[in-house]
Amino acid sequence: MTPQKTLFDSIDPEIIETIANRHEEISKGASASSKVMAALAIGSIPVALAALSKEAYGQTPADVVDVLQFALTLEYLEAEFYNRGVANADVMAIPAADRPVYTTIQTHENDHVAALKTFITARGAVPGAKPSFDFTAKGNVPGFNFGAGQYATFQVLSQAFEDTGVRAYKGQAGRLINDKPALNAALSIHSVEARHASEIRRLRGKKGWITGNSRDDLPAFTQGIYNGEENTTQAGLDISALGTGNGGVDAVTQSFDEPLTKDQVLAIVSPFIN
Amino acid sequence: MGEQKLMVISSADQLLEGKTRRDFLKLVGLGGAVIFLPSVLTNCSNNSGITGPPGSGSPLVIDFAKGDTAVLQFAYALEQLEADFYTKVVANFSSSLTANEQTVLGEIKNHEVIHRQALKTILGSTNDFTVHTNYSGLNFSDRASVLNTAKTFEDLGVAAYNGAAQYLTSTANLLVAGKIVSVEARHASAIRDLIAPKTSSQGDSGTSFAPKSFDDVFSPGKVRTAAQAFVVEQLTFSNAPSTFVQGPNNNG
Repeated sequence: MTPQKTLFDSIDPEIIETIANRHEEISKGASASSKVMAALAIGSIPVALAALSKEAYGQTPADVVDVLQFALTLEYLEAEFYNRGVANADVMAIPAADRPVYTTIQTHENDHVAALKTFITARGAVPGAKPSFDFTAKGNVPGFNFGAGQYATFQVLSQAFEDTGVRAYKGQAGRLINDKPALNAALSIHSVEARHASEIRRLRGKKGWITGNSRDDLPAFTQGIYNGEENTTQAGLDISALGTGNGGVDAVTQSFDEPLTKDQVLAIVSPFIN
Repeated sequence: MGEQKLMVISSADQLLEGKTRRDFLKLVGLGGAVIFLPSVLTNCSNNSGITGPPGSGSPLVIDFAKGDTAVLQFAYALEQLEADFYTKVVANFSSSLTANEQTVLGEIKNHEVIHRQALKTILGSTNDFTVHTNYSGLNFSDRASVLNTAKTFEDLGVAAYNGAAQYLTSTANLLVAGKIVSVEARHASAIRDLIAPKTSSQGDSGTSFAPKSFDDVFSPGKVRTAAQAFVVEQLTFSNAPSTFVQGPNNNG
């Protein structure tokens, strides 16, 4: 009889499968670590499972799930925004040439929603329900309802959501560092959001990248999306001088996108959530 | 042994030239004296002098036993390649590129040089290697050649950072990589949109600014193979990771 068999036979097979599938170090034949063995020695399955879980995920699964649920909320927001935008493309009179941009992003955001739900479920949690959204942002975008003559406002919100998305995922990556499949998924979404952001910005006649903490022509209530992007300290080193001959400090700030904390992101998106 | 032999080396590049290297080894074997001028060190950092077909040069070894440092060195090698490419693009601007396209490419050049120099600074004493490039006759005055090669580099850069991140153990280093990769993705989108504006074409051969719902996550080995086509040195891994966790596209 092996200790691993005792452990695995005693707890929910789905949890075992989730952990084992995601982490090769727990695969069959791998020896349990001293913490797991110690827990088993005192006959405590819950303690052994807790030790195993923490070792497998580094952060507790609850922490990883929290990141995924947070990301799901953002993707729900984006998916609904583009679903409604595409559905109202005629009403808003979106030029035919621009429409493939929005149908592409719409598909991606809905795919992100589906993937995050799968990841959350695979970690033994229930995906959060889609909130109801207020795209006037509690009156900050007066009268916006995907209506006639509102394409320009639609584009403003699109830029705001995409630039926020990039910073939001970046700020959470560290919490996923020990759950590699979740990290990979988050990073592969993160860079797609950056592609979207660049496209929308350029479609609006702006640069694809963010200069300093400039919100360009976006309304003042979006400033939180850009605060901190003026940073020129990377890995603890002041790199502002690297712009000399290479576009100056503006280029230094363009070269690095900055993270936002979860609280900062929630402050930005909460006006859009009822 | 007879008279003392003397050899003067003014540039590390000299040691990579066949005759010099043979002479150097013969001389060392005979117990001769070799003088390394100070320029050996200073000349190491320029990007000229070493030429040859891709992969024909000396090994450029990334030792993954160094952990996070190796990942950053890998990124530094790729940023050297990108920065060199765009520097040549800017130096060879032709009327085949519109003013707007030249502005975009010029700004990307700035970003890639800044990425290269930032990683060099962050690596400190472990930054002592130089990537030499070979674009196999790429016509830098041809718009399509320039933009398609830029697309290759930007997409590769995104997939490389996304795939190397899993080997980082420090959240601080992961954050640095994350700050750079989204800018590479912004570049990739802009370049793709210059080639095929506002298109929805998806998949491996898709021309859209964002051709997949999930960007590729490439293993360092896959990235090395792709980058080797443009690098004179033999890109070599030692103690390479034995495992790689695939991303959503399962193609790394």
